[in-house]
Amino acid sequence: MEERSYQRKPVVKIREMKDDYMKFELRNTDASVANALRRVMIAEVPTVAIDLVEIEVNSSVLNDEFIAHRLGLIPLTSERAMSMRFSRDCDACDGDGQCEYCSVEFHLRAKCVVDQTLDVTSKDLLSSDHTVVPVDFNEIAGDETSEQKGVMIVKLRRGQELRLRAIARKGIGKDHAKWSPAATVTFMYEPEININEDMMARLSLEDKQSIVESSPTKVFDIDPTTQQVVVVDAEAYTYDDEVIKKLESMGKTGLIDIKAKEDSFIFTVETTGAVKASQLVLNAIEILKQKLDAVRLSDDTVEADDQFGELGAHMRGG
Amino acid sequence: MSEKRQKSVCPAWGNYKELQELVRHHIESFDYMAARGLEVMMENIKPVKIYDPATDTTLSHILFVNPKLQLPQKERFRTKHNALYPFECRQAKISYTGKLIADVCFQYDKKAVIRESFNFGQLPIMLKSSLCYLRGADPKKLVSLKEESAELGGYFVLNGLERVARPLILQKANYPMSTVRDSFRDRREGFTDKAVVIRCLREFQSSLTDQSSLTVKLYYLRNGSARLGFWIQGREYLVPVGIVLKAFIETYDQEIYQQLTSCNSDGHEKGKGAVGSQLVGERAKIILEEVRDLSLFTQDDCLRHIGEHFKPVMEGFENEEPLNVGHAVLKNYIFVHLTNYDDKFNLLIFMLQKLFSLIDQTSSLDNPDALQNQEVLLPGHIITIYMKEKLEDWLRKAKKLVQDELAKPNRFNFLSVPDVKKIIDRNPSSQISSAVENMLKTGRLATQTGLDLHQRAGLTVQAERLNYLRFLSFFRAVHRGATFAGLRTTSVRKLLPESWGFLCPVHTPDGEPCGLLNHMTYCCRVTSFFDPEGGVKDFFEIRKSILGVLSGLGMAPSFPRLAASGPPQALSVLLDGRVVGSIRSSEVEKVVSKLRRLKVSAASMIPNDLEVGYVPLSMGGAYPGLFLFTSPSRFVRPVRNITIPPEDGRDIELIGPFEQVFMEIRCPDGGNGGRNDAFPATHEEIHPTAMLSVVANLTPWSDHNQSPRNMYQCQMAKQTMGYSLQALRYRADQKLYHLQTPQTPIVRTSTYAKYCIDEYPTGTNAIVAVLAYTGYDMEDAMILNKSSVERGMCHGTIYQTETVDLTEDRTAGQMFMRSSKGPKFLDVDGLPYVGQILQPDEPYCSFGNTIEPKTRVFKRKGSETVVVDYVAVDTKKKKLQKANIRFRHPRNPIIGDKFSSRHGQKGVCSQLWPDIDMPFSGATGMRPDLIINPHAFPSRMTIGMLLESLAAKGGALNGKFVDATPFASSVKKDDAGCTKSEPKSLVDDLGEALKSHGFNYHGVEVLYSGVYGTELTCEIFIGPVYYQRLRHMVSDKFQVRSTGVVDQVTRQPIKGRKRGGGIRFGEMERDAMIAHGAAYLLHDRLHTCSDYHIADVCSICGSVLTTTFIQPHKKMVRVGGFGQVPPQNPKKVLCQACKTSKGMETVAMPYVFKYLASELASMNIKMTLNLSDGA
Repeated sequence: MEERSYQRKPVVKIREMKDDYMKFELRNTDASVANALRRVMIAEVPTVAIDLVEIEVNSSVLNDEFIAHRLGLIPLTSERAMSMRFSRDCDACDGDGQCEYCSVEFHLRAKCVVDQTLDVTSKDLLSSDHTVVPVDFNEIAGDETSEQKGVMIVKLRRGQELRLRAIARKGIGKDHAKWSPAATVTFMYEPEININEDMMARLSLEDKQSIVESSPTKVFDIDPTTQQVVVVDAEAYTYDDEVIKKLESMGKTGLIDIKAKEDSFIFTVETTGAVKASQLVLNAIEILKQKLDAVRLSDDTVEADDQFGELGAHMRGG
Repeated sequence: MSEKRQKSVCPAWGNYKELQELVRHHIESFDYMAARGLEVMMENIKPVKIYDPATDTTLSHILFVNPKLQLPQKERFRTKHNALYPFECRQAKISYTGKLIADVCFQYDKKAVIRESFNFGQLPIMLKSSLCYLRGADPKKLVSLKEESAELGGYFVLNGLERVARPLILQKANYPMSTVRDSFRDRREGFTDKAVVIRCLREFQSSLTDQSSLTVKLYYLRNGSARLGFWIQGREYLVPVGIVLKAFIETYDQEIYQQLTSCNSDGHEKGKGAVGSQLVGERAKIILEEVRDLSLFTQDDCLRHIGEHFKPVMEGFENEEPLNVGHAVLKNYIFVHLTNYDDKFNLLIFMLQKLFSLIDQTSSLDNPDALQNQEVLLPGHIITIYMKEKLEDWLRKAKKLVQDELAKPNRFNFLSVPDVKKIIDRNPSSQISSAVENMLKTGRLATQTGLDLHQRAGLTVQAERLNYLRFLSFFRAVHRGATFAGLRTTSVRKLLPESWGFLCPVHTPDGEPCGLLNHMTYCCRVTSFFDPEGGVKDFFEIRKSILGVLSGLGMAPSFPRLAASGPPQALSVLLDGRVVGSIRSSEVEKVVSKLRRLKVSAASMIPNDLEVGYVPLSMGGAYPGLFLFTSPSRFVRPVRNITIPPEDGRDIELIGPFEQVFMEIRCPDGGNGGRNDAFPATHEEIHPTAMLSVVANLTPWSDHNQSPRNMYQCQMAKQTMGYSLQALRYRADQKLYHLQTPQTPIVRTSTYAKYCIDEYPTGTNAIVAVLAYTGYDMEDAMILNKSSVERGMCHGTIYQTETVDLTEDRTAGQMFMRSSKGPKFLDVDGLPYVGQILQPDEPYCSFGNTIEPKTRVFKRKGSETVVVDYVAVDTKKKKLQKANIRFRHPRNPIIGDKFSSRHGQKGVCSQLWPDIDMPFSGATGMRPDLIINPHAFPSRMTIGMLLESLAAKGGALNGKFVDATPFASSVKKDDAGCTKSEPKSLVDDLGEALKSHGFNYHGVEVLYSGVYGTELTCEIFIGPVYYQRLRHMVSDKFQVRSTGVVDQVTRQPIKGRKRGGGIRFGEMERDAMIAHGAAYLLHDRLHTCSDYHIADVCSICGSVLTTTFIQPHKKMVRVGGFGQVPPQNPKKVLCQACKTSKGMETVAMPYVFKYLASELASMNIKMTLNLSDGA
């Protein structure tokens, strides 16, 4: 039997890229890889988030745990997170998170001395490290003039005070959702839509119209010149089979054929702002690689080699 | 989606008017008590007389006047600001009370009246009543007084606890009711089970009442006669009815005969509405003969006869003439709602006619369980009648004290009022109020007479602020009475059509109090002593004007005697239990509709809550007549009177349950509801949801759910952890549940905005996917998204307060302090720091006294880590002795916590599933917060939940709230234009909204497996549903034990979760093990893990009890360095009976077996064991 290589060369084509949003195509691979990428992006790309809060004064209406929880959920810029250490693995410190390798210290001091309500926001968090600061959403939106002041933590009335020290640490979304850099990561199979032109030509305009309207998303339209049903946006199709069902009810099965391509995916990535969307994808690939390395280098894998024979080699990417 | 679907559901801030309506009946009843009730009650207490033979003076007319109830004040504060506010009472665990002062009048012989002011103690004040500082306060003021901005009032604060009086259902006052009860037969020989019963509300001159009632029963005898039964001093006395009839007025037999037989005129036998029969005449003769046999002929004869018989039981009439006693009996015990003998006579005739008609089956009996014949007992009224009895007791005791003192040789000056007062004060007057306070605290009546009530306990309940809906429900609940709870029959619990619109059919608990504890519908009100303008009603004037209207409409007045004609020609008219005349039956309908019109018109003197109970002529139906009621504490509800043109804007009529039965009320859907043309509708419901309570009304689209599910939801809404209070900071409740991040529901009913539920939301809009995903959602379990929970979904806290009062300790001089050796994490004053984290078993405060250096501590119970939230101390005294310490228990969702949607779909969290493993939508990337199993739907048929999911999805996409008011399709459309063009179904409406946003019409979405990234084979129904977190949490319930405390006697593990006990492996569990043949497991459970014991048994005598250890003589054993174990002496055991240790064997047995042996020995039973080698 001839040696066969199962290796494929996946291709990424970026369609759209903003700081906190990215859309790209991933081709020449299968669902397992695509899903692994998605899962890593959500749960295993590290970020920095507030993990330890020491409250000195809290006379606000919210209780200590509530404020600590809110602080934890504030996204912090985490470009440095990949190179940071987990505080549990940090040799330089005894885990109290005071060292530069694994933690960042924040201070918050706010007191309301006027009659208006004072909004304490993420802007009031003072970081000890300029690379790790609360995410500025105005910057992302490209809106410098806006009055928006960051993420609201608590509102204070006259006389109320909030004073605390917070330590941010590196972590991953698997441990706690606050460390997840991804707001949404999703992918879809690229649809392949074939319209049987002959059958379509025989339909009346009303029928065509009803076919177009049967899909809740705008996948089809009628070409104003040719009066034919054309695919305007194949990717708007959600695999809801509405069109197919419609055709079945019309007795025109086979008029439109929709298939999902098994090997090409369209990813949509939105981040919390902690990492740039592009960086998130790169970090995810990096982590995925590390994980595969871990598999390849583990003793179990050698044992598995005997078990799986040449498949084992494939599993290691050979 | 139509705009209409969300218009009415947007919240209106700070408008709590509708909310205040819900508790109005509580507050108004208390207000009346404070304004007039106490005064009327006190002035009508029978004065006592004390005769002193030595000075030959009579101290007479000791009575009460001029009661004054003061606003709550602080003790011992003589400064300006001495007002006592409710929040202070809650924190200091004291009662919100005001001083009650009244004058007591003394009069010697015929001299001038001397008034002496007495302090009757501290009477509990209802919050937001006219005597409360919160009355009329706007939200801002309320907040500054550390109350809720939406504070409702209507409850009492007693010892820091909030208690609500539970309104009780009573028999309708002043309405003679046909009753059949088996127990009537046992009254005396010859009695039947039939009677006409009337509960009379005591009334004085100018129609004033003190709310006390007295029931009179008219029994039918097998011989055709009747007996009048009435209660004196807790005993029932039976008098032949003829004697009473003759005692009322000077009359002659023929008149009585004519009156009684007035309803059976010839030619109408068996016709419609005929109630009389030939037999009535016979019975009348028997009644008259009975009197004649006793040779009583005149009114005086009868009165004297009664007087002679009742003299022994009538207190204060020992020296009176029998004639006067007779008058007193008639006046004080028979038909106490009437003052005039003619009226009493007429009523008795009417009752006899009704009784005879019941016997002849020309009229049916009245159902005592139907709301038609019921009214309600309100807090102010129960306090009044309870206080009346306490005052009477006090007077009686005072009289006795004075008389005892007079009998003593060294006497005091009887002619000096201060001296008399000193003696009276030995029975302190202040205990009157403390008796009332105790009654409200415990809900228990301490009374001899029973106050004509059927229950003595459970009159008040604690108003838990678990969540707002539960709190509200306390005020809307009415209880049928504790006596019925023990009854084995279920007929009282039945849902009867009479309660339509007044009591909610959905909102009743299931289980023990089902059907007995009902809740009023949201528009149901209770009539009060106040008119809409806030003035006290003048019932005398009201009745006068009603009578005026009636005579103007052709009523033949009954005064002084009833006209000699009855149904079917003429109908008797009863106004508050007084026969005022009769109207020709052809005229009645006209009179009724005229009365109804006058009711709603503002100009007339006729009150708007007058009940026009017209019972029409029928074939054997209810006894016909026109029964008018003006009395307070009746249920009423608004309906639209369609005979009145709506242009006037005054077509809303208040109707009661008595009249409703005979009215034609249609649904506002425009149809006739299958109505017979012969009975055209005269009234119309305002909205079909009017039949539901506030809580039941909050279920979205409850009309699409299977009915029991709506009942479950009413239960669960009240157990939901929600936003319980806004003034949380100033509260010291024992336990409060609080949801950290609640949300307002996207899909809500119009009631939601009306009652400002947004102030106290109870749940979260969770994205719910309906699919069987991992198997962890089987059997009503649900999978929560771990990330959602970590982001704050359903996070909650329990606030728990410990009140430490060192003054309660016997040893004096205790105060909070910290010793130098004491726990360091307590503050110098011995109290914990706010914000401090406390582990289980750690001390939270320490105390001691200044003399001894030792301090003691209070330790935390339970197994939870808590945070100190708040410490409040009482600074009234110099030493710190009283403190409230409030702890926070963080309670974030974990496996085993209970959740529920608003459709009776409850479930337990079975897993916190990682976000990445949850299915996700390819188009939006959404992962559900919560997964439930599709099997939850087919058998339960909660379509409302599916609709909610659909609608909320559309609403979320539109950014608008969706109106889910039930029965919306049964309401007439406002503008006639869209009625015809919009026959679309609800689902169409919702589906189109989804489709317009590119979603599936049916609410399903294509989801991908989070684990594999492949498309799930089915499209999944997914959308936001409002989920409630219920208060049942595993942290409060889990029970585990490996080893631990054992019972001293049996050496078996103890029971009880609190003490770290085990779970009982009972008989049924044992049976199951036996059935399985799992002998080893059984042995393990019942023996090895329980009270395993190796006993020494003497094989010679077979006893387990006679063994003793012999202490071997201690040999000097040289311990040879480390590592060398000292040789263990084998235990020597000796049988005391055989005096030898030869036959000693060890046997493993349960320790209880040994215990059994000793128990038996104590009864002189010897138990021997025959030991053999197990072969």
